[in-house]
Amino acid sequence: MFNGSTLLLTVLLLVTLPVRAEHWPGEQWSQGPAASGPALDALEAYAFVPRDDTTRAGIRTDALLVIRDGQLIYERYAGPTTADTPHLTWSVTKSLLAVMLGVAYGQGRFQLQDKVATFYPPLQQHPQISMADLLHWASGLDWQEDYEYAPLNSSVVAMLYTRGHQDMAAFTAGHAAFSAPGQAFRYSSGDSNLLSAALKNMLGTPAYADYPWSALFDPLGIRQAVWETDAAGTFVGSSYAYLRARDLARIGLLMQRDGRWGERQLLPKAWVDFCRTPFSGYQANQDEAVPGAHWWLNRAVQGAAQPWPDAPADTFAALGHWGQALYIVPSEKLVIVRYADDRDGSYRHNELLKRALLAFGRQGRP
Amino acid sequence: MSRSWVRRRPVSSLLLVLLAALLAWVWHERLALRAFPDILGAYSAKEYCSCRYVMHNPAEYCLGYVRQYLSLSQFADEPEQRRVTASGLGRSHSAAWLGKREGCRLAP
Repeated sequence: MFNGSTLLLTVLLLVTLPVRAEHWPGEQWSQGPAASGPALDALEAYAFVPRDDTTRAGIRTDALLVIRDGQLIYERYAGPTTADTPHLTWSVTKSLLAVMLGVAYGQGRFQLQDKVATFYPPLQQHPQISMADLLHWASGLDWQEDYEYAPLNSSVVAMLYTRGHQDMAAFTAGHAAFSAPGQAFRYSSGDSNLLSAALKNMLGTPAYADYPWSALFDPLGIRQAVWETDAAGTFVGSSYAYLRARDLARIGLLMQRDGRWGERQLLPKAWVDFCRTPFSGYQANQDEAVPGAHWWLNRAVQGAAQPWPDAPADTFAALGHWGQALYIVPSEKLVIVRYADDRDGSYRHNELLKRALLAFGRQGRP
Repeated sequence: MSRSWVRRRPVSSLLLVLLAALLAWVWHERLALRAFPDILGAYSAKEYCSCRYVMHNPAEYCLGYVRQYLSLSQFADEPEQRRVTASGLGRSHSAAWLGKREGCRLAP
């Protein structure tokens, strides 16, 4: 019998089936099957060492959370951090900024080759710098990123705390050039804040002040996010976004699924591809991973080995000071959030990824 | 300075050259040097404020969180105003919590 109601039922089934096959978080993440066993013990032995808040030595994980195929399968907190803590992400913020810029890009507000000075006039002394150059940390501006070991000459310390803190983009624009734009990679928090200031002028001040929420956090169901601004009202796109671990994982799932959130293509897939394409001006071993567009890639370039040899080549990440990380492994459908307070640099991305993949990846699955 | 003077006083000559180099470096780095003592107070005020009022960590933890090799001469956390003032190396800086989305910011 092929009457109207059977037809309707069939159509309904066809429409709902692909949706049902995929897990997405609602107000909360749905729980997937919990892992256990020696591989998980080995991961925890690495990540959760007893803490010494006097010496602050060693690996000091604040939060570790794992999403597999859209479901929460592991979550643990330490120190003062809980599931409700909007944790400082430091330079993970830069990748959040890139996601937010992807929404603006999808709205047709700029093209990659657009000159930044058209949106941000204080950069007119460097008229050739394009949006793509800033996204690659290749402005050519003579910036010194060192945080703690050379505080006198650190551009980033001056920007955040002394000469630049009132208007971080203007402080960056005041730097001289060391190379032509787009040629050489030099990691720069200043480049990120120029992007943030450019976005402000694209959108206008009132829309910009709401944009992280209207464009990104609200559509993803992120209800508790803080993004600090400088005195000029520019979001500190280099450093100062705060999210709960469960919410940063939503950004990870969005990127794992090529910019799609449920039925909605929030970022163009082409934007995610651009973020995940190695910058051609990067020289092997210049940094701890390979820069794409404001994201870090586990790619072998120029004959050098992959930065994280024990993780698949499609692994990419947002990385921040003191061990903050959002790792995405699309081939394993894994999203891993790590918050930390690592002060001595002993933490290794590769070691955590290796152990997490054994505990939660395909090879480690029951 | 004749060559004979240099030959007669090699140590003084060397010291003079070093002094000149030092002065040149101080001039070259004058902006960074003038700002340098501000780092300690500004960093401590801003990051304590965010640790305490954005991340909602306990006060005692946040004090440890911002601790540096150089210690502060004064520190004040005013919970009612959510304002934090830190002094060190002869400079004093404040940061204040502005709102649920805006978090903390260093005062000008």
